[in-house]
Amino acid sequence: MNLKDCHNFNDFRKLAKKKLPSPIFHYIDGGADDEITLKRNTSSFDKCDLIPNVLAGVNKPDLSTTIFGRKIDMPIFLSPTAMQRLYDPEGDKASARAAEKFGTMYGMSTMATTSIEEIANVSSGPKLFQLYIHKDKSLTDDLIERCKRANFDGLCLTVDTIVAGNRERDYKTGFTTPPKLTLKSLIEFGIKPKWVLNYFINRKFELANVKHITDKGTNITKSVIDYVNEQYDPQMNWNDAEYCIKKWNGPFALKGVMSVEDAKKAIDIGCTAIIISNHGGRQLDGSISPFDQLKNISDAVGDKLEIILDGGVRRGTHILKAIAAGAKACSFGKMFLFSLAAGGQAGVERALQNIHDELKRNMLLMGCKNLKELNQSKIIYRK
Amino acid sequence: MKLSDCYNFSDFRKLAKKKLPSPIFHYIDGAADDEITYRRNTSAFDDVDLVPNVLRGVENVDLSTTIFGKKLDLPFYLAPTALQRLFHYDGERAVGKAAQKFNTMFGVSALATVSVEEISSMIDTPKMFQFYFHKDRGLNDSCLERAKAAKFDVMALTVDTITGGNRERDLRTGFTSPPKLTLSSLFSFATKPMWGINYLTRGKFELPHLQDYVKEGTSTNTSIGNYFSTMLDQSMNWNDAEKLCSQWGGHFALKGVMSVEDAKRAVDIGCTGIMVSNHGGRQLDGSRSPFDQLAEIVDAVGDKLDVICEGGIHRGTHILKALSIGAKACSGGRLYLYALAAAGQAGVERALDQYRKELERDMKLMGCTKISDLNRDNLKFRNK
Repeated sequence: MNLKDCHNFNDFRKLAKKKLPSPIFHYIDGGADDEITLKRNTSSFDKCDLIPNVLAGVNKPDLSTTIFGRKIDMPIFLSPTAMQRLYDPEGDKASARAAEKFGTMYGMSTMATTSIEEIANVSSGPKLFQLYIHKDKSLTDDLIERCKRANFDGLCLTVDTIVAGNRERDYKTGFTTPPKLTLKSLIEFGIKPKWVLNYFINRKFELANVKHITDKGTNITKSVIDYVNEQYDPQMNWNDAEYCIKKWNGPFALKGVMSVEDAKKAIDIGCTAIIISNHGGRQLDGSISPFDQLKNISDAVGDKLEIILDGGVRRGTHILKAIAAGAKACSFGKMFLFSLAAGGQAGVERALQNIHDELKRNMLLMGCKNLKELNQSKIIYRK
Repeated sequence: MKLSDCYNFSDFRKLAKKKLPSPIFHYIDGAADDEITYRRNTSAFDDVDLVPNVLRGVENVDLSTTIFGKKLDLPFYLAPTALQRLFHYDGERAVGKAAQKFNTMFGVSALATVSVEEISSMIDTPKMFQFYFHKDRGLNDSCLERAKAAKFDVMALTVDTITGGNRERDLRTGFTSPPKLTLSSLFSFATKPMWGINYLTRGKFELPHLQDYVKEGTSTNTSIGNYFSTMLDQSMNWNDAEKLCSQWGGHFALKGVMSVEDAKRAVDIGCTGIMVSNHGGRQLDGSRSPFDQLAEIVDAVGDKLDVICEGGIHRGTHILKALSIGAKACSGGRLYLYALAAAGQAGVERALDQYRKELERDMKLMGCTKISDLNRDNLKFRNK
């Protein structure tokens, strides 16, 4: 199996599984507890039917949309995700370059393994920075300042990781960052020698954005869960979010809003967008899926801020359903991370090309010229 | 396993799988993307229950219905499907003769492998020609003229293939028409030697309606998705459909209408029927199933044109459910294609006979003696 055999999410996932040491694969692939929410995030799309229109004379559908003040060429972008250099030696650089090539947004995590400044150097495309509020407040200020200087377009504050989710696969595999070599994981790493080779011959693995402030960034082998629980501020509240908005003074989203009530509060504190997300089913298992909640939130606040749907997106039709229900765009993590692990930048480009082709094909089959024509009259929810 | 072991859709499918080279089997069997819509097309029927009436004296059951001005002995017909001689060397000849025997409508595809003239000289029962709107207007005119001269009863314009669907099984098997021999497909073809011998000895494989106009008609290997995307006119709109409708001058249907709005426009441009269809789940995955959408469309236009429910039908009861909602008839492709692949004309006849028997049995169990006895009082929707 190689990259040209990858036609969909499952193909990329399969190839990634072949290439990655198992603890790392399962870190991407896993969710919280019994992974009910993880599965529901995708299957929720199946309960909603698209109603196409025929004979619409659509030749070249326009897939563009505007988020965080930037026009993007298709309504799907790369969610900020941590530690991409674990999946490919180029990591965030590969993702950012691929995103720019397709005219869409790249999201950078606070826990990226490439720095804000390095990414600004390699990509002039639309960029979103994802912020965690650490107990050390000066770190938050520092990150916001650096994003400003590096001309990032938008900032999003993750609000669904107040405490780490119960990712049981990580307990079993002993996943830590940087990877810890236990007897069991050693065997697993040993059978993916190419990955091990890349890991050691390339630049040192580090949490590039926070390394100067926290020693957890580099030396100490930590599980992500321990990192989250030790470093993130569980006291974070609406005032802290408002503080970040004022400090940033640009397009700003809360990432991980799931209730209508919180969506309304997000408007009140000055957000220009919200990302409806349950962190890819990695935090609170049993919580509602983004798509199941999208229409409720969109009906309440869709005219007042940009709604981005994050989670479970695997197909062009998933994106079209989300747009029809009221989202301005979607984002995905696992989908592009598997493609990154499967083939680096070329992998992400292939995944984006596939999804672009799907979007274009499906817009033609829907008989829609642009995303504005996709509204709630084009979908029916089945009970 | 042989033909006499085939009692239902799944049995014919199994036998077809045994007989066909795998790329060809998967071309029939597969659908778009994750095949969610393909599966829903059938499972939609399971969300509705039949409510029978008893003690009604049902010895004689009349299954006949009239669509497009033609009386059919069965309330379902054989939807037009492409490339039938790939599935069995007799192809459309076998299917046409079986349709005639049961006096139901035979749909012939623009991508048929036997000509309209030959079919017309062979059977005198009702015939439908399925039409794709090509960029080449000469080809369009030729299709229409030939179908008219061959006295076809209905013209059906397919409107849900404005671009090719994402049929991932074909991407993996490398299915093209005519079959291309790659290393992996060669292996599959080699393990079904009878298919290979028949393919090579039973007359040249061709697309007689296209061959004078496009090289894809005969020799070039092309995927169906690629054919749709490159040969068909993506700017096709309602004006084009209206012109074709009047150019044809007879019973005219749009195949692949799914919205109420489009169904109403079909009435406006002079259509006498529509097929509520998503192309067997082979085009837009995630789109609504015909049966789920049927009631809304029947309510809007059922008194103005013939509404046909197409797709997902595996059983007589599926047909009864669709008719109870108000479809004038049902149609399907896979419901006879597996049978064709399994055993040619004899296979299709066995399949049709089983559907007929199921329909008769189920009508009796429902307490109905004629199609017009069926209505929505026969049904309970579980989720409403």
